[in-house]
Amino acid sequence: MILSAGAIARVALLALLAAVLQVSGVGEIRVLGGNVDLVPLLVAGVALYAGSLPGAAAGFLVGLLLDLALGRILGASSLVLIAVGYGVGRFGELRDPAHGLIALPVGAAASAGYALGVAVVAYLLGVTPSPSFALVRELALSVVLNALLALPVFDLVRRVLGPALVTDPQRRARRRARREIARGTGPSGLRA
Amino acid sequence: MPDGKTVRRRRAVLGGLVALSVALLTVFFGEAASGPLHGIQRGAQEVLAPIELGASRALKPVRDLVGWTGDTFRAKDENQRLRTELSRVRGELAHEQTERRDLRQLEGLARFSGDPAFPEGMRQLTARVIARSPQRWYSAVDIDKGTSDGVARDQPVITGDGLVGRVSSVTSGSARVTLITDSDSAVSAQVLPDGAKGVVKPRAGRFDDLLLDYIQDGDVREGATIVTSGSTHSKLESLFPRGIPIGRVRRADPAELEGYQQVHLQPFADLRRFDFVQVLSGAATSERAAVEEPGP
Repeated sequence: MILSAGAIARVALLALLAAVLQVSGVGEIRVLGGNVDLVPLLVAGVALYAGSLPGAAAGFLVGLLLDLALGRILGASSLVLIAVGYGVGRFGELRDPAHGLIALPVGAAASAGYALGVAVVAYLLGVTPSPSFALVRELALSVVLNALLALPVFDLVRRVLGPALVTDPQRRARRRARREIARGTGPSGLRA
Repeated sequence: MPDGKTVRRRRAVLGGLVALSVALLTVFFGEAASGPLHGIQRGAQEVLAPIELGASRALKPVRDLVGWTGDTFRAKDENQRLRTELSRVRGELAHEQTERRDLRQLEGLARFSGDPAFPEGMRQLTARVIARSPQRWYSAVDIDKGTSDGVARDQPVITGDGLVGRVSSVTSGSARVTLITDSDSAVSAQVLPDGAKGVVKPRAGRFDDLLLDYIQDGDVREGATIVTSGSTHSKLESLFPRGIPIGRVRRADPAELEGYQQVHLQPFADLRRFDFVQVLSGAATSERAAVEEPGP
């Protein structure tokens, strides 16, 4: 994936939007005991469609904005979200998933990874966690909720970033060939 | 497949971002509240505050809607939970009240058994009421003791407050007690302390109003205590031993006393609400001898 200046601007805009929405009350929305968290979803969406480096950069930016806006220790959220963005980006680059529901598992993994990472960083910074069944249940519900929410969020990211992304021609050709093989319309030597 | 240069660049950018984050974290964590990073954070908060405020207001309806939905589900769950809890607590309360009531009645029975007025020489058998006559005019209860426990027909039955009736029929495991409010009941009685005698009879359908009828030899005052007389007349032997409290004279109308030889009395025992009784068996020889009436 080749990032254009427009794509970088759009990533920054999405990062700002996610951070502002998250601190402006989206984080307070509770559905069936779980909390909505747009931040890891947006970072994962950017990483999945734009690649590991844009994903990591988006993670850094969103994390920084989040820490700035919430008055938390600068760099703590960035560190975790860089890992989330890079990990999802590498998954996209290596597996090149094209399934329509890929947002569900990726969103769940990103949310779970973010929650776990935040807990680890908090522990390293001296916050002693007090794990309980209620906490684990709430985290599990949040992961499920965010996995469902990942469908519209990923779609939004794809729509915003898609026109600005310059796709690698070789990758585009590989993907087209794979689709044709699946349909049975590809070159005769490659038909399944 | 990415070339080496791409991989190196990717690793370098990643390493740079991580290093920058760790550096920010370290510096921020270590510096004082007046440090430069804290200052930047305060400035960013000031800049972002109006945006956050606007976004918060715009999102409020969504938050409220989701909150309302969540509250509704939560309220339903809570309602169900509270209903279950209420039902459990009600059950516990009912159980506790029943236990307390049983205890009170059993204490009354034990107290009465130790009372000097209790007929000497008689054995008592405590039984639980297992059924009640549903009809107002035929007052009877069933108890959970029968012939296998030594219960026999015509044995007197008491509570801790006084006489309630006699055993009218018996099986091996249960017995029927006809109460003194039953229309067939008649108990020879004596007024204390004057000693006037009469027969306690029911008033149909009334659990709290009995009649002392056929009063002989004497004046009866309101508030006087009525006990069983324990008559052992050869032709009309009483089924009840002497001295069991029956009730207190509630109304002694001189005209009624003169014309009909009767007064009204209130039974000591609450004949609608008792769960335990004692069936008396054996003979109270000393008391009977003391009041034995001469034969004709």
